[in-house]
Amino acid sequence: MINLAGRDILHGWGRFLFTGVGLGLLIGVTLSMAGIYRGMVDDAKVLLGNVGADLWVVQRDTLGPYAEPSNVRDDAYRALLGVRGVADAGNVTYLTMQIQHEGRDVRVMLVGFEPGHPGEPGSLVAGRPITRSHYEAIADERTGLRIDQRVRIRRHEYTVVGLTRRAVSSGGDPMVFVPLQDAQEVQFLKDNDALLNERARTAANPAFNRPGVPGLLEAVQASQASSRTVNVVMLRLAPHADEAVVAREIRRWKHLEAYTRADMDEILVAKLIATSAKQIFMFLVILAVVSAAIVAFIIYTMTLAKQREIAVLKLIGARNRSIAGMILQQALGLGVIGFVVGRTAAALWAPVFPKYVLLLPGDAVVGAALVMAICALASVVAIRAALRIDPATAIGG
Amino acid sequence: MSHPAIEIVGLAKRYGTGDAAVDALKGVDMIVQPGEVVGLIGPSGSGKSTLLKCLGAVIEPTAGRMALAGETIYDHGWKVADLRALRRDRIGFVFQAPYLIPFLDVTDNVAVLPMLAGVPNGRARDRAREMLTALDVGHRARAQVQQLSGGEQQRVAIARALVNQPPIILADEPTAPLDSERALTVIRILNEMAQRFGTAIIVVTHDEKIIPTFRRIYHIRDGRTYEEAGEARAA
Repeated sequence: MINLAGRDILHGWGRFLFTGVGLGLLIGVTLSMAGIYRGMVDDAKVLLGNVGADLWVVQRDTLGPYAEPSNVRDDAYRALLGVRGVADAGNVTYLTMQIQHEGRDVRVMLVGFEPGHPGEPGSLVAGRPITRSHYEAIADERTGLRIDQRVRIRRHEYTVVGLTRRAVSSGGDPMVFVPLQDAQEVQFLKDNDALLNERARTAANPAFNRPGVPGLLEAVQASQASSRTVNVVMLRLAPHADEAVVAREIRRWKHLEAYTRADMDEILVAKLIATSAKQIFMFLVILAVVSAAIVAFIIYTMTLAKQREIAVLKLIGARNRSIAGMILQQALGLGVIGFVVGRTAAALWAPVFPKYVLLLPGDAVVGAALVMAICALASVVAIRAALRIDPATAIGG
Repeated sequence: MSHPAIEIVGLAKRYGTGDAAVDALKGVDMIVQPGEVVGLIGPSGSGKSTLLKCLGAVIEPTAGRMALAGETIYDHGWKVADLRALRRDRIGFVFQAPYLIPFLDVTDNVAVLPMLAGVPNGRARDRAREMLTALDVGHRARAQVQQLSGGEQQRVAIARALVNQPPIILADEPTAPLDSERALTVIRILNEMAQRFGTAIIVVTHDEKIIPTFRRIYHIRDGRTYEEAGEARAA
């Protein structure tokens, strides 16, 4: 038997192709939305994987350092190193900020870390690690910075000595790593006017400016100008230490919050990006419904345009299942064109997206199955209409 | 003894029920022999199309009897289980307009019928090409239907009706869109085919120019048929 669907498609291939391309672009948007969600999850996992830590110790009753602000004294690591099972500790600060690079604003996450301790950047793709105590930086290549370039961050200029790949915040901002003290200064140090104002206020306070206590005022003012705070202390555990036990010890005796890798995964994926994920899911549902409506409308109008031919086919003995098969095959054909166009479009425009778009083969397979299911479902209305066509309408009168 | 190709006795068809009921056919009698081309003439609303639809097994009569080549297909109820197969194998249709399938070429428009009957594609196309040649459109076998003239399209439609060599063909105003010359050519072709394949053909028409070509005519009025005698027509 002739493939009626194929012949009809070839007969009006231009209309069919353009419709398929239109549908494909819609499917491309749908796949990109799924890719953005996957990218967000991947960013979160990369963020946790890059730092080489087993436990994240943060301010008590907070979900820091990524989901909530957290302040921990920078000498807390000494006490943490004394907990059984802790092999290494590193102070880390995080600050999302805007920097200027070649005349354009770049949003970055500034990371302060201690070289050689947990929290330092993962493998470099170019350059070398930071070797000086100040004014050297390692930047993610998505910042657009290059080795030996100088970049101004607040008051100081930093030389880029190394580049990382896929070192991004959970929001997708590329990271710039600088020595801890520099990062603390950027994050916590007040500007000159604020310092002068603060000094004047302290000097006017008799409690800090006692005539009989020389040096008190200077000591208080010096403490106001320095920062001894970090956002998180990252711990690396000894090989056989149980991270849950160590975390419990820290919560009990050190009055700090300690999160394991699994806890941080939960915070980043289930809490931090949960709203975005729901939003993307809603978009996916809406796009799926719109795609189904478009396919249903196209197939329905194509079927109505063939009413007379269908009546003739039925009159001369075509089975209902041949007619239904023709319409179903056309809907699926539209789905195949749409999916191929959509997948190609999503792959082509993914690098242009400001956010990381991760197109997983598994998602593509699920997407293809969904597109086919939606097209099959969308053809039901047209099939019902075709089966209702009375063969008698082919005979006049 | 050979049976008539079509034998209809007291065929009735009522649409609707109660006060809204309309009797479209009120007891039609008709006999058509194999190889005979018969005209069916009547004003609008007289029941021509209803009779054709009953004969074509697309609507069910209300009462009466119909037999094709001696086999009763309706006798106060269908006597054939598969009406679709009946239409496909034993009845050919030619419509007012050719109603060819626009997305199939000329050969496949004809071959689709044997294909629907399960004939392999190659053999079905061979049969289609033979029939197209018999109808003088063999040279257009590979053309798209949109490339054909009105007369050529109607020949292809006749080839489609004949390709399964059914015992009867129902032609619903087949010359309506054609000029006199082409209309007469179509009737000549139908007569030739009827003679060649022994097919009984009923031609529903309003077309004054082709009416004189029929040896026998049934008039239909108010749901009843009246045969115009052959002798009277010959005179």
